[in-house]
Amino acid sequence: MTVTTEQDQQIASQSRSARLSRRKIFAAIEGYLYLAPTLIVLAIFVFIPIVASFQLSLTRAAPFGNRSIDVGLENYMRLLTDPVQLQTIRISLLFTLGTVIPGIVVAVTLGILLALPLRRFSWLHRLLIFVPIVISSAVTGVLFRWIFHPVVGYINYVLSLIGINGPNWLSDADWALIAVMLAVIWQQLGFNVIIALAGLQNIDSTYYEAAKVDGANLWYRIRHITLPLMSPTLFFLFIINTINSLQVFGEIDVLTQGGPGNATSTMLYSIYDFAFRGTPQRGIASAQSFLLFLLILLLSIVQFRISSRRVHYQ
Amino acid sequence: MSTSLPVDKANKAAIIGQQKESPIDLRSEIIVQIILFTIGLVVSFPIILAIFTSFKEPQDITSYPPSLLPSERIRVDIPGYDTPLMLFNVTFEDGTQRQLARVEQVGRNYLMVDPDDPETIITVENAQLQNVTRINFTFENYVTAWTSQPFARYFMNSVIQTGVIVAFQLFFSILAAYAFSILRFPGRDLMFYLILGSLMVPFQLTFIPNFLFVSQLGLANTYAGLTIPFLASAFGVFLLRQFFMTLPKELHDAAMIDGAGNWMFLWRVVVPLSRGAISAFAIFAFLSAWSQYLWPLVITNEQSMRTIQIGIRFFLFDQERGADWGGIMATAVIALLPTLLIFLVAQRQLVRGIAMTGLKG
Repeated sequence: MTVTTEQDQQIASQSRSARLSRRKIFAAIEGYLYLAPTLIVLAIFVFIPIVASFQLSLTRAAPFGNRSIDVGLENYMRLLTDPVQLQTIRISLLFTLGTVIPGIVVAVTLGILLALPLRRFSWLHRLLIFVPIVISSAVTGVLFRWIFHPVVGYINYVLSLIGINGPNWLSDADWALIAVMLAVIWQQLGFNVIIALAGLQNIDSTYYEAAKVDGANLWYRIRHITLPLMSPTLFFLFIINTINSLQVFGEIDVLTQGGPGNATSTMLYSIYDFAFRGTPQRGIASAQSFLLFLLILLLSIVQFRISSRRVHYQ
Repeated sequence: MSTSLPVDKANKAAIIGQQKESPIDLRSEIIVQIILFTIGLVVSFPIILAIFTSFKEPQDITSYPPSLLPSERIRVDIPGYDTPLMLFNVTFEDGTQRQLARVEQVGRNYLMVDPDDPETIITVENAQLQNVTRINFTFENYVTAWTSQPFARYFMNSVIQTGVIVAFQLFFSILAAYAFSILRFPGRDLMFYLILGSLMVPFQLTFIPNFLFVSQLGLANTYAGLTIPFLASAFGVFLLRQFFMTLPKELHDAAMIDGAGNWMFLWRVVVPLSRGAISAFAIFAFLSAWSQYLWPLVITNEQSMRTIQIGIRFFLFDQERGADWGGIMATAVIALLPTLLIFLVAQRQLVRGIAMTGLKG
């Protein structure tokens, strides 16, 4: 048995804490090594570009050579005062409104139908309705170009069966935006129905049983039980769809390329136009991408505000 | 985006179509079945139409009224004639119908023969002619789509681009998710929120500087340039972390006592136990990589480096081929086939993943 002096103990505890802190340092190094690949990629391709994009938005390409000129907030001013640019904001908002609201109404209706306890074919109905989720935006564009074909397209054929002379969807400025909206609603339908269905399945069935006992009819049950109880889901759908709709690109590019005229030129399409078609104007394109980001943020905040008054959590 | 889905205890079985409740009454069931079948056919119609159209002959594609199934105009061999003659249903003025083969058109009249009586030539005046057709699938459009431009190359580019993105996202996300769920070290939570925050940054905010940067590196028109911005996935880190957190803590302690390092524990224990979550994420990563549009559009301008999505775009806008809808539809079907197969095979996993995370990948 050895007698330890005070000094010995001190040395021992020092070396223990040294070992401990060495282990801590080692754990930290190990942890960051595991994170490093993800952090590096995100830093280079997400975080630094935000700053770079903002710097770019304060410049304009010099008429000759590769130099750029600092112009301060001029690009932003132009985007917020030029009538052509204001029109793209208006089209973006219109497009968002015209895809989000009908998209959610259709999705919730289908969700309610699909949630019914059917004896057969539940899986088949789901398969047929969910399938657009795996179709890319480019292919969606191609499929709908064919459906909207002015001569042999199916939409105009079906309309002709009920005596309506269908418009020239994609080349008529009054109809092109609606045509693109229909394609985008279709593409996002599967996703929306899945979310709506998940929200519906989550409602406690005792609410319905109570209503049934009280003799409430179907519409009353939907209006006063289903919709309020799935309001968190509805809220989620509104936010996600707003964000997605403001970022639609592929369908617009394939269907109309922003035309005819500027009829379907949303903010994102205009960003692409500025940055990559004709003489690149990347300063103003970056400024517009910042405005679009702010718009997404603003709409999300507004929806959060509304929802805090309207959304009921169980 | 990172708004969390308010459905925490989503009834998985019910979402994917297994019901426990008692069925509704038969009359309502029939009505609902009819409504749902109609809607289901309308929703899937664009895809069904594309598949059928891709198997049609050119003259069949632009026929009006449009027919859904691909058909072929029938020609018959008639003794005494060198070439097969086109067969028609002929409706005469008095309403009678006969099936006749056309020999020649003379002004507004036709010289025709009855296939059963090839000796007599019948002159047909003031009658309506309609082609006799039969259902026939042709692969012609696939051959022309595949050979008229480097579609095999586009397809291979898409496979490489998607493969690289999925492999790296899986590998990097597994590592980061492991650090966030099982390791403990200073600054861990801060880093987690940083990565989560990146989900809020829309791609349109970063793609112009990314384009300039990747071009300056000389990576435009390369596989590296196509894939490099997407090698990591904040969504994947988040999804896998949520799953890794559900694994019992004792597993890690036991492994450490046995002297296994974290690296070995991760690949020998955590990954095999998380196959479900990892394959769900792999499906999402595959779908979103395969469908990419804006980035491959701007970072490639050489035809040989286009992905299939961008290949379709240029095929469609090519004025000379602009009217070749058979070829366009064949291309679209080739492009959607891999994702459609994934959907048919892994529908349940995909739907459950969406329902539980609220994210598309």
